[in-house]
Amino acid sequence: MLDRPISSPIHLVLRPLQVTVELFGIPRLRAGVSQSVADGSTLGEILLDLSRRFPSLGKSCIEGCNLKAGYIANLRGERFVTDPETELNEGDIVLLMSLDAGG
Amino acid sequence: MDQTPGYHGRYLRIDLSSGISKSVSLEASFLRKYLGGSGLGVALLMKEGTATVEPLSPEAAIAFVFSPLVGSPLTTSAKFAVVSKSPLTQRINDSLASSGFALTGKKTGHDAIVLVGRASRPSVLVIDNDQVRLEPTEDLRGCSNPETQKKLRSRFGADFQIATIGPAGERLVRFSTISHDGRHAGRGGSGAVLGSKNIKAIAVRGTQRVQWSDQLALVRLAKELSEKSFGPATAKYRELGTASNLLTFNRLNVLPTRNFQQGSFQGASAISSEELGAVRNRTRASCAACTIGCEHLYSLKSGVPVRLEYESLFALGPLCGIDDSEIVLIASQRCDAAGLDTISSGGTIGFAMECAERGLIDAPWLRFGDGNALLRALDLMVSGEGLGQLLAMGSRAMAMEIGHDSIEFAPQVKGLELPGYDPRGLQMMALGFAVGARGADHNRSGAYEVDFSEAVDRRNVGPESAHLAVETEDRAALMDSLILCKFLRGVFVDFFHESADILRLVTGWDVTAAELRETAQRIVTEKKRFNILAGWTPSEDTLPTRMLQTAIPEDARSSLSTDRLASLIKAYNLARGWSEEGWLPEAEQCTL
Repeated sequence: MLDRPISSPIHLVLRPLQVTVELFGIPRLRAGVSQSVADGSTLGEILLDLSRRFPSLGKSCIEGCNLKAGYIANLRGERFVTDPETELNEGDIVLLMSLDAGG
Repeated sequence: MDQTPGYHGRYLRIDLSSGISKSVSLEASFLRKYLGGSGLGVALLMKEGTATVEPLSPEAAIAFVFSPLVGSPLTTSAKFAVVSKSPLTQRINDSLASSGFALTGKKTGHDAIVLVGRASRPSVLVIDNDQVRLEPTEDLRGCSNPETQKKLRSRFGADFQIATIGPAGERLVRFSTISHDGRHAGRGGSGAVLGSKNIKAIAVRGTQRVQWSDQLALVRLAKELSEKSFGPATAKYRELGTASNLLTFNRLNVLPTRNFQQGSFQGASAISSEELGAVRNRTRASCAACTIGCEHLYSLKSGVPVRLEYESLFALGPLCGIDDSEIVLIASQRCDAAGLDTISSGGTIGFAMECAERGLIDAPWLRFGDGNALLRALDLMVSGEGLGQLLAMGSRAMAMEIGHDSIEFAPQVKGLELPGYDPRGLQMMALGFAVGARGADHNRSGAYEVDFSEAVDRRNVGPESAHLAVETEDRAALMDSLILCKFLRGVFVDFFHESADILRLVTGWDVTAAELRETAQRIVTEKKRFNILAGWTPSEDTLPTRMLQTAIPEDARSSLSTDRLASLIKAYNLARGWSEEGWLPEAEQCTL
């Protein structure tokens, strides 16, 4: 149990990270924005936060801490991830997109 | 013996030179080996000996192939394959289209229609159940696809379905299409093959239906499949259309831009489906018997709606440096009307733009980003005037004419222009392009699915993953032979298993998932065998030199060396049970 006031500097260190989220395709359509921020130190946490911020996105693309089938996340444009335990770093960029790339 | 449900058990072979047509039996065992669509088509072409003849000669066969699922209540099954030897690649070409032509064509009482020979004058081939005749069409010379279809519908009546070639096919443009109701058998120049036979159009009417082995269960399964097709797995296609790929690919730096000199396009937002949908009227349409409805049409300023797919958008937009959506839509409309494959058209013009920029061709007007130049080049391509003669050959043949090492940046594999995936940043797709039987193609491989997953590092794919390209290619071969639309693939949990369920209900065969895997492999091998007979050598399985010597400028990690591509190809060939170089085992070299 913390013995410090809630406004102590240490509490600020424990605040979740804030990452930038870029949305493409159906996730963008559902959220109504192309970019947002979300709080969380793992992929699962930011998905939960996005569900709170954008209920329509949450309802159609996210299930708890996971993306629903048909959607995928990408870190910084570099690697695709689905594991909700995937750790994020301050300043990370998470891309949410439809899985199906066929044209 | 009773006919296998789902099939008529025969195909119609028409010799256009002699005017003689006959029904040829198809044994159930043969049908079970090759199913329909692409598989049956390549098998029929092998029987005809088409691999070793010139694709635009009278001896070359072209097959319109239906499938056991055509006419069933299964969503997206109203498809047909056009299979021929490509005048663009000199290799096997199977192009698929979805439309009522498939439904009515099969009702003529045949599982396929095979044409050989050459009509003595421009004609429409009329197939009315078992009756076949040629009617002259000199009055339709130079008419666009929509004009031709309208006039012939008026001549024959609404119960005929009519597939046509446009002026591009008549002029034997090597990447001309066959069109029906706005849909195209698009890639590889099947329109030129039909044009070489003096056939402007094929009109079909029929009343003959096939039986289904277990109709009640099939209807039940079809209903379930339709319900799934309304779900999230197809939401992108249904709600946004394929054009929504553009911004995603742009963000990942894999959007081919200015003849693959860049992987992202500054003007991408201006031509994105999001922007088009915001500033233009948008309507949706579906192919025949489809519940997905992926077609999105955007209105020109004149109000005329134009169908726009990602591949047309990328090829006529970023690939040529065009950021004017009105120009892209007009260009797409012109390609559809004239019967030009949009990917090869944009690919060839983008290549020509770079040649002009380098001073390799005398066309100072042909500049990246100049919309009017794009439209002028398309018109020349169709008319054959001036630079159009070169453009109509496609980028590989054009590079051979130009010389000066321009082949190094011609955007093609085996002569087929690359679709809208930069292979340096999508390296499973790079492998799929390199080994593809019909050349650089995203529909016969589908390996981009692996790149868009956690299974590989898309910018550093190793040979241990080559089997994944085999799997996507096998799945595509089965889908193209059953036939089902690939946009449906996301609704299946185990595609081979569920396909076996479908085929059992249609045909009554005791088919299993394992058998269908073998069937898919057999079809891929048959295409390879066709290509070997046509002169394939291992050196064809590669990518343009530019892709192997330079990284995508925006992303230095998106690079693929010659050695690594070679290691991927070797692993792919071994995974297929072929030699390291890609030759078939001796036991499989014999023909049908």
